[in-house]
Amino acid sequence: MANIDPKFGKALKEYGAIDFNACYNCGTCTAVCSLSTPEDSFPREMVRLSVLGLESDLTSSLKPWMCYYCGECTTHCPQTANPGELMMSLRRWLTSKYDWTGFSGLLYKSLPLSIIVFIVTAIGVILFAAEESFNLETIIHFGHYFEMIAIGAVFSFILLPNLIRMWYFVILKPKIKVSFSTYLKSFKELIIHMFTQKRSLGCDDNEVRWIEHLILVIGYLSLLFTTVFLDWFSSQNLFIILLGYVESAIIFVITVIFVQSRMNKSKEVSKFSQPSDWFFIIWLLLMGLSAFMVRAFIDLDILESNIWMYLVHLIVLVQWALIIVPFGKWTHFLYRSFAMYFDSLKRNQG
Amino acid sequence: MKKKIGVYICHCGGNISDYVDVEKVKQAIENEGGVFLAKTTMFACSDSNQKDMVEDIKNNELDGVIVASCSPKLHLTTFRNVSERGDLNKYSYVHANIREQASWAHSDDKAGATEKAIHIVKAAIAKARLSESLEPNKIVAKKAVAIIGGGVAGMKAAIALSNMDCPVYIIERKYFVGGRVAQWNELFTTNETGKDLVTRLYNDLVKRSNVTIFTGAEVVKNTGSIGDFKLTIKITPRYIKENCNQGRLQEAIDACPVELPDDFNFSITNRKAIYHNFPSEYPQLPVIDIKNCTRCGKCEQICESIDFSQKEENIEIQIGSVLMATGFDPYTPIEGEFGYKEIENVVTLPQFKRMIDMSDKTLTFKGKEIKNIAYIYCVGSRQEERENKYCSRYCCTSAIHEAIIAKKKFTNINNFHFNRGIRAYGKQEILYNESSKMGDIYLQLTEDSPAVVSKNGTKTIVKTNDILTNGREIEVEADLVVLATGMVPRADNSVGSLFKLPKGRDKFFNEIHMKLRPVETFIDGVTISGSCQGPKNIMESINSALSAATKSFSYISKGELETEPIVAVVDSGLCTWCNLCSEACPFDAISMKEEGGKSIAFINNSVCKGCGMCLPVCPTDAIDLIAYSNKEIESMIDALAND
Repeated sequence: MANIDPKFGKALKEYGAIDFNACYNCGTCTAVCSLSTPEDSFPREMVRLSVLGLESDLTSSLKPWMCYYCGECTTHCPQTANPGELMMSLRRWLTSKYDWTGFSGLLYKSLPLSIIVFIVTAIGVILFAAEESFNLETIIHFGHYFEMIAIGAVFSFILLPNLIRMWYFVILKPKIKVSFSTYLKSFKELIIHMFTQKRSLGCDDNEVRWIEHLILVIGYLSLLFTTVFLDWFSSQNLFIILLGYVESAIIFVITVIFVQSRMNKSKEVSKFSQPSDWFFIIWLLLMGLSAFMVRAFIDLDILESNIWMYLVHLIVLVQWALIIVPFGKWTHFLYRSFAMYFDSLKRNQG
Repeated sequence: MKKKIGVYICHCGGNISDYVDVEKVKQAIENEGGVFLAKTTMFACSDSNQKDMVEDIKNNELDGVIVASCSPKLHLTTFRNVSERGDLNKYSYVHANIREQASWAHSDDKAGATEKAIHIVKAAIAKARLSESLEPNKIVAKKAVAIIGGGVAGMKAAIALSNMDCPVYIIERKYFVGGRVAQWNELFTTNETGKDLVTRLYNDLVKRSNVTIFTGAEVVKNTGSIGDFKLTIKITPRYIKENCNQGRLQEAIDACPVELPDDFNFSITNRKAIYHNFPSEYPQLPVIDIKNCTRCGKCEQICESIDFSQKEENIEIQIGSVLMATGFDPYTPIEGEFGYKEIENVVTLPQFKRMIDMSDKTLTFKGKEIKNIAYIYCVGSRQEERENKYCSRYCCTSAIHEAIIAKKKFTNINNFHFNRGIRAYGKQEILYNESSKMGDIYLQLTEDSPAVVSKNGTKTIVKTNDILTNGREIEVEADLVVLATGMVPRADNSVGSLFKLPKGRDKFFNEIHMKLRPVETFIDGVTISGSCQGPKNIMESINSALSAATKSFSYISKGELETEPIVAVVDSGLCTWCNLCSEACPFDAISMKEEGGKSIAFINNSVCKGCGMCLPVCPTDAIDLIAYSNKEIESMIDALAND
C-alpha cells in the first residue's frame, strides 16, 4: 500500500528536477541506459516513483547512485522529460535526506542562503586573522591544524552519522538481512569503487571523462595528503615541494576543463548546472590555484609582503571544509562508493 | 430463348489454367445449345480482351455473354459494363466463377477441377439462355429531407442541405436544440463553448427560408420509402405564447412549486415544471413540462403568456430521404459500479462537466471543497464481461480536458487518472501532454484489477494496482470520484425501429460498410450521422453529418431515382395472401392489396432488395425473383447435375 504525494514533485524541482511530469512511461530511457540491467532497471522506475511521490521507496533505493549521468536517457526521451537530470536531482535530494543536520537540504534549495554562509565564513576567517594581527606564521600554523581538525570533526560528526543513516535507510529499514561475513567480503567493493569509479566506465564513450575524473580524485586526495601530512607549505624537501606543485596544477587543469564543459553545455551531463555544482567545481579549482600560488609566493619569498594570498587560500579552504565537504556535492565521493558497497550487501543478503 | 451466346474462358494468368484445362472446357461447351462463339483468354479483364469482347458482341450481334473467370464480387460489374459498351443489356451477362469454385478449391485434382469447371460453365449457359433484358426501376423522388435530431450533427447537416437548395425539416424531440453539445462548456481545441457552437448553428439556420425546425416533436409514423417517405410528426406544445414578456416569465418560473431533477444537468440540480435549461437557450422560449405540471395555476396568475389551451397536434410531411442524427446517451453506471449511487461523492463525467460549468471560484460538492479528484476511465466501455465491448473514443480526451479546466479554474486541485491506457488520439495528445506537465498523475491498470472505490470512515479511497509502478497497490484519498462514462445508444430509440434501421452488435445504428459506405443504411433513403452510429467526438460527428447530408441529397437531387430491377414479383393468379411472405420480408416491402376482388401480396419495388427471403415461404409458389426465377435456377441445376 502506498499513498500518492503529488507535492513531492514540486519539492524535487527545488533540487533541480525539470519536466519529469511529462513522462508517459514509454521506458525508452531504461532501454537506452547502458548501466540499467533487467534486475535493477532505471531510470523510468525512479521517474515513476518521483511522479507519484513515493518517498520511502526512493530513500531506500540505491538506483540514483547507480546512475553516472551519461545522458543517453535525456537525449532519447521523446517527451523531453529529462530523466538524467531527475536522477541527478534525486542524488541531491538523497544527500539531504541522509544528512541528519538538514543543512544540506537548505543549501541545495536556497542560493541566497548558500551565498550568505560563504560570506559569513569568509568574514570569520578575516576576523580571526585580524585577531591574530595578520601574523602570517600563526595563521599558517592555524591553517595547518585547521585542516587536520576539520577533517576529523566533519568526518566524525557529519559524514559518519550520515553514512550510518544511509545504511539505515537502505539496509536496516527495509529489513535486509546481511551476515557479518558479507560485510567483510563486500568491503573490497567499497575500496575499488571509491578510488576507481569504475562503474562509470559502463557508460558509452565515457573513457576520457573517467580518466579526467580519476586524475582529479587522485590529485585531490594526494594534495590533501601532501598538505596535511607532509606539511607542504612548511616543507624544505624538494620532492615534496614539487609533488605539491604537480598535484595542485593537475587539480587546476582538470577543474578548468570541467568548468568549460559546464559553460559550453556540450554534453548532457554538463547542460544543467545547479549552484551546488558550480560551488563544488569552482572551489576545487580555487583550492588548486590558491595552494599553488601560496607555495609559489613562499618560494619567491613574497608571501610575507602579500599575506592576502594566504588569506584567500585559507578562506577557500575553510569554506570547502565546512560547507562543501559536509553539506555539498563533495559527499558524492562517499555516497557513490558506499552505494556500491550496500548494493553488494543486498545482492549477497541472507 | 437466346441463340447467340458468347463464352469467354479465362486463364487468369495461370490461377485457373494451372489446374483447369481451359482448352478442354472450351471444347466441352462450344457445342452447347445457344453457344455462338467460345474463346479462351489469358486475362479476360484486360483492356485488350474487353475491347475484343465489345467487338464480338457488336459484330456478331450476340444476345448473351458469359465470362468464366473469378468471383463475381471482383468482376461482375466489369463485364456487365462490357456488355453495355457492346449495346447489349447488362442483365444478359452471366458470370461463371471457375477460379474460387474450381481451380483454387481443387488444386489437388486437376481432372476433377476441369470437370467441375465444365459444369459451372454449362450452368451459366443454361441461365444465359433464359436471361432477359431488364431496365432499372424509376421512382419519383420528393426533393426534401427530414433530419431527425437537432443536435450539432443535425443542424450542420441541415445547413449543408439548405445550401444545396433542398428543403429541410429538423425534428427535435426536446424543446431546445443543440442536443448534448449545448450541455458542454469549453471545448478542445478552441476555447469555444458548446453553447457558442449551438448558437452559431442556430442563428445560421433561422435565417434560412427552406429550413423548418420542429421542437418537442417526435416522428410517430412512417409510410412510404425512398424518394417518397410520409412522416407523421407529433408536436407537443410549449404552453407558452411566442413574443412573451421574459421578465414576467422568470417570475412565473420562480413561482412554480414543482421541483424535479434537471436532466440538462444530469440530475445534480433541480428544475421547475416551467423551465429553460439556461437563459438565452434556443429557441428562446421556456416550456411547461406538462407531464410534471400540477396545474396549480400560479404561473398563469403571474404571466399572461402562459397558455394551457395549446393543443398537441399531428402533422404530416412528405420527404425523399431521412437523415438520422439522434445522438447518444451517456452510460449510466449500475448501482455500486465504482461506488456509483452507494458512495455520495461518486459522479459521472457529464455530471462533473456540469458541476465545473456551474461553479465559480471554489469547486464544492455537497458542501465540501474539492481538492483531490480521482477519474476512473472506461466506465461502460471496453467491458470484457458485459455488453459494451467498444471504446467510446471521446471519454479519455474529455476527462483529461475537464481535469485541466478544473485545475486552471480552481486552486489546489490534484488530479489522479485511473486509466486503462490513454487514447487521446490525434491532436488530443496535446491535452494529455499538457495535463502530465501540469502534474496530473496517471495510474494505469487492467480490466483484471480494476480501480476499487471504498469508504473508510468519512474518507473515500480509490485503490488500484498500478502497472507502471510494478503492480504496486496505490491508493488515493479522493474528495470526488469522476467516472469517465462512455457513450451508449439512446435509451429510447423507437424512431429507429420506425424505419427498421438495423443495429450493430453495439446496438448503435449500423452503416452498410464501415469504410466504403459509412453513412448509408440497408434501408434505402435513410442515412445516419453523428453519435447515433457509434461513439464520435464533435468533429467526427460533423464530418459524418456533412457526408450524410450529401448522400441523402444525392438520392433525391434529380427528382427521380433508379433502383435495381432484380426484385420479387407476385403471380396474382397463384397468390392467396396468406401473409407468410410479408412476415419473412426483412425490409417491409410486402403489403396486401386488392386486385380483381381478392387479396394478394403487393411488392414495393423501391423497397425490395431482391434478397429472396419471401420465395421459399410461399406455399403456392406465387413469388418469383426477377433474374433468379425458378425456371432459370432449375435449368442451372439440371446443367450441373447432368453428366
